[in-house]
Amino acid sequence: MAKSLSLSRRGKLWVGQFRCMASPCEILLECKNRAQARELAELGQQEALRIEQKFSRYRNDNIVHQINSAGGRIEVDTETALLLDFANNCYDLSEGWFDITSGILRRAWKFVDGARIPEQQEIDRLLPHIGWHKVNWENPCLTVPQGMEIDFGGIGKEYAVDSTLRLLSQETRDSFIVNYGGDCHASCPLADGSPWMTGIENPHRPGDATAVIRLKSGALATSGDVFKFIQQDGKRYGHILNPDTGWPNTDSPLSVTVAAATCTEAGILSTLAMLQGKDAEIFLKRQAVKYWCYR
Amino acid sequence: MQLSSKKVAGLLSAATCSLLGVPAHAEDDWDVDTAVLYYAESDDRVQAFEPVISATRDLGDDESLSFKLVLDSLTGSSASGAVPSTQVQTFTSPSGRDAYTVAPNETPLDPSFKDTRVSFSMNWEKSVGRNDRRNLGFNISREYDFTSISANALWQHDTNQKNTTWSYGINIEADQIDPVGGAPEPLTDMDDQNKMSGTESRTIVDLLFGVTQVIDRSSLFQINLSLSEADGYMTDPYKILSVVDNTTGLPTDYLFESRPDSRSRQSLYGKYKKMLSNKDIFTASYRFMTDDWGIDSNTFDFSYRFALSRGYYIQPRLRLYQQSKADFYNYFLRTGESPEHASADYRLGEMEATTIGFKFGKDIDEQQAWSLRLELYEQSGDSSPSEAFGQLAQQDLYPTLEAAIVQFNYSFRF
Repeated sequence: MAKSLSLSRRGKLWVGQFRCMASPCEILLECKNRAQARELAELGQQEALRIEQKFSRYRNDNIVHQINSAGGRIEVDTETALLLDFANNCYDLSEGWFDITSGILRRAWKFVDGARIPEQQEIDRLLPHIGWHKVNWENPCLTVPQGMEIDFGGIGKEYAVDSTLRLLSQETRDSFIVNYGGDCHASCPLADGSPWMTGIENPHRPGDATAVIRLKSGALATSGDVFKFIQQDGKRYGHILNPDTGWPNTDSPLSVTVAAATCTEAGILSTLAMLQGKDAEIFLKRQAVKYWCYR
Repeated sequence: MQLSSKKVAGLLSAATCSLLGVPAHAEDDWDVDTAVLYYAESDDRVQAFEPVISATRDLGDDESLSFKLVLDSLTGSSASGAVPSTQVQTFTSPSGRDAYTVAPNETPLDPSFKDTRVSFSMNWEKSVGRNDRRNLGFNISREYDFTSISANALWQHDTNQKNTTWSYGINIEADQIDPVGGAPEPLTDMDDQNKMSGTESRTIVDLLFGVTQVIDRSSLFQINLSLSEADGYMTDPYKILSVVDNTTGLPTDYLFESRPDSRSRQSLYGKYKKMLSNKDIFTASYRFMTDDWGIDSNTFDFSYRFALSRGYYIQPRLRLYQQSKADFYNYFLRTGESPEHASADYRLGEMEATTIGFKFGKDIDEQQAWSLRLELYEQSGDSSPSEAFGQLAQQDLYPTLEAAIVQFNYSFRF
């Protein structure tokens, strides 16, 4: 299904816009002619759609569905293997805080209008089916035990941003920035040497940029969705869930934005920071990265 | 779990690097290229063994520093320049102390050919603004009878949205030659061992002007114009010429060769490179070179890289070379002839050469690659020229040279 791409002019930049991964996506390009801008933006859109189609958990025609419905050992392609290796590394380095098998918690947690927090017994039913250590991953073969699922939702969008940047970098040396739903990655400074200006949203006033970040190259990723939370009994339950307890940390910041060399790194760091609750800033300082934390 | 006090950024960055195939922090990386080359000529002539290691350090912000070390060890015999004869010939070694004989009807080879060369170079590249790159380099090379130092600068400027790159380069080289036993007096009898001095020198200045044009997303064209001016001692102190009897063609004397003390060279080089839709790469290049010694040469070089599955590739190559002779090239001198310059070095004669071979390799991942190159080289000239007379008419005056080249490369990043 070919989705629409709109191409427009913003100042001296070309902007390609489309929707993908349930987010507004933008590629801003500093190239001189429309034809080249369209070609590059289309290439980016194709890459974003490709990744969505391949790794979305909401489809039944892709590798994620095959893995989750295999009920046993399955051999995966190289790209999937790289993502599984990465997920495995993240599980290890985060001591289990980042776990791609925790996605089934969404069966208990519904972040929709008027939703209530789930009963503990609902969560207790799911917890035995969570834990990357229960999965057998021997590249290129993966065995996911019956009842468990994997979900690349926690890294898919950031990976798509980096992958698009990598792809377009092979086609042009002009400056551009890939922005998929607020997670972005800039290729290099603008022709006159100036940085890209990227706004991060103020979680207290959605729609308003509170800080403008100057980005010469590298990436930003934000965790914490101003709409995806449940407010109950004076507590705010965010959508980033602890794979160990099945609960979000109610002391988490409203949002955390991290700057890193790649969007994937920035995304993992901001997610892990959210899970640290009141210790989010301590964690971020320890990582020696630039961050913007809103409470 | 005390994750909040744990530093994970470094591990994460390494993990991301494996995922995306690009170094998350390029400035922490060394790109290392190692190679060994083995070159062997047929009939036990020259053999060379050459290990090379080069390393590039990315300093970030489009700045890099690279180093290269080459070791070269040569053994075997090389043609001395004398013609074969129906009689046994006796020669004095360059040191003047030893003598060796050559059997009838055999090409006289100087058996004392043995050398080890060490060469070290470094290069600093930096981007200046978004469209310019400057490159400064230094090289030193040392053999037991030869020392060379050179410095170079290259400026590259991109225009036309980086689709056109203009290159301007200069290289200045100073060489010092300390021939074994001293540099011989040109065109004097080898038996007399008249030596002029211990040390000779020369300087070489090269200028380069080039344009690289991106034609479309998969092809580019490059043109380089080079000018070279060499001044100083250009003679090969170990090469000789036979003086032959005007009726029998039998050698009577052997003279040290003599070359002009300057050489101007101009060359024009064009290259076309295209990546096909199946990721195969076709490359064709042509070089025309002319100099004031009278040598004009043409080089055609074609290669085609077939992308195989799983990162493997195979790249056949064909190189064709042809040159005219230097004005002062002589197979031999007749008794009584006294030219200003004369050399019988085969490399200055009219010749054709063909290189055919292939490279097979694998790009293991973004971090590692290896390749194996196998090539056969054949160089031939006119072995029975019309000026041959007497016993010379039955000799092979330009023996065909065959050589094999094997090279193994391994590169990695850490």
